[in-house]
Amino acid sequence: MATDFWASSHYNRWVLDRATLKQARAEDLQYVDGPGYLDFLNIFFANLISKLGKKLQLRQRVIATATVFFRRFYVKNAYCETDPFIVAAACCYVAAKAEESPVHIKNVVSEARMLFSNKEHGVKTFPSDNSKLAEMEFYLVDDLECDLTVFHPYRTLMTLVGKEGNPHASEAEAGEVGIGVDDGPRYWGTGEGKLELQEGAVQMAWFIINDTYRSDLCLLYPPHLIAIAALYMTLALHSHTRSHIQLQAQSVSPQQNSQSNHSQSQSGPSQPTRRSSRSSVTAQKKQPQDIIGFMAGLNVNMALIATIAQEIISLYALWDRYKEDAGGTDSARGSFAHSNVGTLAGSKRAASGVVRSGSVMSAGTTSSGATPSAGDINDPSLIMEMPQQVVTPAFLVQLLSRMREARLTDLAQSASGRPVAVNKMLERTQAAG
Amino acid sequence: MLEEGPMATLMNDPMRLYRARRDAERKRVTEKYLIEGFISSGTYGRVYKAKSRDSDGRIHAIKKFKPDKEGDIITYTGISQSAIREIALNREISHENVVALKEVILEDKSIYMVFEYAEHDFLQVIHHHSQTLRTGITLPVLKSLTYQLLNGLLYLHTVHIIHRDLKPANILITASGVVKIGDLGLARLTHQPLQPLFAGDKVVVTIWYRAPELLLGAKHYNKAVDVWAVGCVMAELASLRPIFKGEEAKLDSKKNVPFQKDQLLKIFEVLGTPDEREWPGVKTLPEYQNMKRLDVYKNHLLDWFQSRTRSTEGYELLRLLFAYDPDNRLTAKEALQNKWFHEDPKPTANAFQSLPPHQIPPQRRISHDDAPSMIPLPAASQSQAQSQVQAQIAQVQAQAQAHLSAQLSHSHSGKPGSAASFASLSGGATGIGSGHARKKARIG
Repeated sequence: MATDFWASSHYNRWVLDRATLKQARAEDLQYVDGPGYLDFLNIFFANLISKLGKKLQLRQRVIATATVFFRRFYVKNAYCETDPFIVAAACCYVAAKAEESPVHIKNVVSEARMLFSNKEHGVKTFPSDNSKLAEMEFYLVDDLECDLTVFHPYRTLMTLVGKEGNPHASEAEAGEVGIGVDDGPRYWGTGEGKLELQEGAVQMAWFIINDTYRSDLCLLYPPHLIAIAALYMTLALHSHTRSHIQLQAQSVSPQQNSQSNHSQSQSGPSQPTRRSSRSSVTAQKKQPQDIIGFMAGLNVNMALIATIAQEIISLYALWDRYKEDAGGTDSARGSFAHSNVGTLAGSKRAASGVVRSGSVMSAGTTSSGATPSAGDINDPSLIMEMPQQVVTPAFLVQLLSRMREARLTDLAQSASGRPVAVNKMLERTQAAG
Repeated sequence: MLEEGPMATLMNDPMRLYRARRDAERKRVTEKYLIEGFISSGTYGRVYKAKSRDSDGRIHAIKKFKPDKEGDIITYTGISQSAIREIALNREISHENVVALKEVILEDKSIYMVFEYAEHDFLQVIHHHSQTLRTGITLPVLKSLTYQLLNGLLYLHTVHIIHRDLKPANILITASGVVKIGDLGLARLTHQPLQPLFAGDKVVVTIWYRAPELLLGAKHYNKAVDVWAVGCVMAELASLRPIFKGEEAKLDSKKNVPFQKDQLLKIFEVLGTPDEREWPGVKTLPEYQNMKRLDVYKNHLLDWFQSRTRSTEGYELLRLLFAYDPDNRLTAKEALQNKWFHEDPKPTANAFQSLPPHQIPPQRRISHDDAPSMIPLPAASQSQAQSQVQAQIAQVQAQAQAHLSAQLSHSHSGKPGSAASFASLSGGATGIGSGHARKKARIG
């Protein structure tokens, strides 16, 4: 969208901190064995919204907006007390209107019914009555605090690679790269010029951005930083671009080397696991186009960019454990697995993924029908190597239904049965807004 | 698992508790505002004047969107595109010369937008001068109003919003003489939209204020349509009558947009027939051939201006606002730099600063709502709503307990609980607040 980002509702009210997010999931956490389950739900519902959006022929930006709406809704609500399927459908319905490409409510209802009840999801309870979806829309808009304008990383990406004037650069195969993205001036920093990238590299960055919607990143960081992180990863991942860079790196002069070392220490002092992107950053110095100079000129906090890149990598690691019929070819996940950054993901897992792996593992175990045992939980590496330990949509649908059931049972049994207080952090945000 | 029985019903409408809680948390419009009277209505709904119940007692204008009805029953049919648009844009913007949205309240299937209150509007000022004072709007006031209007428009255009419905009734003025552009119901963001602007709304801008490129069927248009409308508004302020008062040709049964012959002729009579040299793009517009069949006129804007205003103050600016070629028409920014605004009398922040009190337009008239009011009575107090939620939760508990004990005694084959116990619950879900004797609600 094209209003001023720094004055926007997105920047002022919806870039949240981790503590807020953690608090938002507190209730759901009572009904699952670990936060890993909820991370899988993040992937699952982003995929679901994307599939529904494609059935409705929504553009990528509309799907992204719908996903952000969904995330924002669940900052204030719990899965165990709501029906995320109707919320997801309502998010698509509102996002289509908010992005000025409305779809008829009855199409949303019929496509959602068809998709949710297919054999992969098996959710047969979606109401056939349009007014039920319209009712959900009403409450959704209220929970979104009427903040319906969302900024996305796509626009930054297109601005940085100089594609904004050419919205039809790539056709259907490339998903939708570049289509329907606002141009407008860069809204941060002092960087100038364009990054010259091959079409394939731009596409990869675009797909990485698509993938970030499978996580909470869109709630945690401003979109331009996510875009730069995706570009950063692309520079390391895109094999052609990388080998090009490496070739150039062989003639780096000592003086330039020390310069680039300097920028390198600026860019990622706290990122011990990102070795391949780090080395490529060093190497970029010698390109005809000064990529490192370009990245430095963006005037953003490179340590933060590295953190975001790392979170994207751990998303891919998690995603490896999740199996679902592929909904399309607009993810960078495949190229990720095949490139040597797969090892990057692995090292990240090994370094800091123990807690997360524990929950992933226990989710996997439950899905296979066995009772998770303490022994399993304490040995994540073992589980990680077991190919049958995958999480499927059917498992997650069951999980949701169990969470809800357990929640209702608790409500029934609790002496007070009082409504649980809404997230205090958000109330404050609301009051400030 | 739970495919039948009370738990199943709850699982099937798991949003019931959610809704009940949200309904209880939400402060009702009438708890926050005291409705003082009805201001106006339109296709969108109705506007009320209301006083905040806060200690500041500030006055607001509350726009209530018309609820969707099926017969007498109000149902949810989806929020209109125009409401979504107006809400989404208003949440992002803030400028001295654009009406500020204070909050949006969604309650009982209705949407209320609470705006800052403006005592006057351009239409009322024009009427006041033509009917009551029977004199023209004085130069300092004319210049200030036009300047502030352009200033607000510059802001909208800077954040990439085209208003698309500028007209005297939509341009408000506060009691302290500050112009406020209102009604973003037709406004759009313009930067590389997902759909062409034309696709969404076939007809934009009220006919008298509609730019020639729109009248000639342009599918691609831009901010210049707003600047044309400003020209029309300025001319109307100067002459107290709409400058191009054409008859609108209505959409035919197939919703095709007809050729707006009369409106174009009204424009040509004053500005002359567009010259292909001064507006090369005109030849590519869909209605160009139709336009060629019209009589040919010469431009006599200067005569028009002098005879209506007995002056040439502002003529030069108006001429540039009325450039036929949208690419040559002034932008809001260029218009603000026009030398007219930098000559004495200079525009003032309070547009009425130069006026003696008796010439200031009267306060906005409000009336009692003749139709049954759309604002419900403040009957549903917080505590009442709260107790309903408690009741619902108690019900859920009871049912869940019934289910649990049933589970203990039966196996899954049984039908735990009774279906009858749910009739009341489903009735209760929509019950909160919706049934408050609407017919009794009277304002004032």
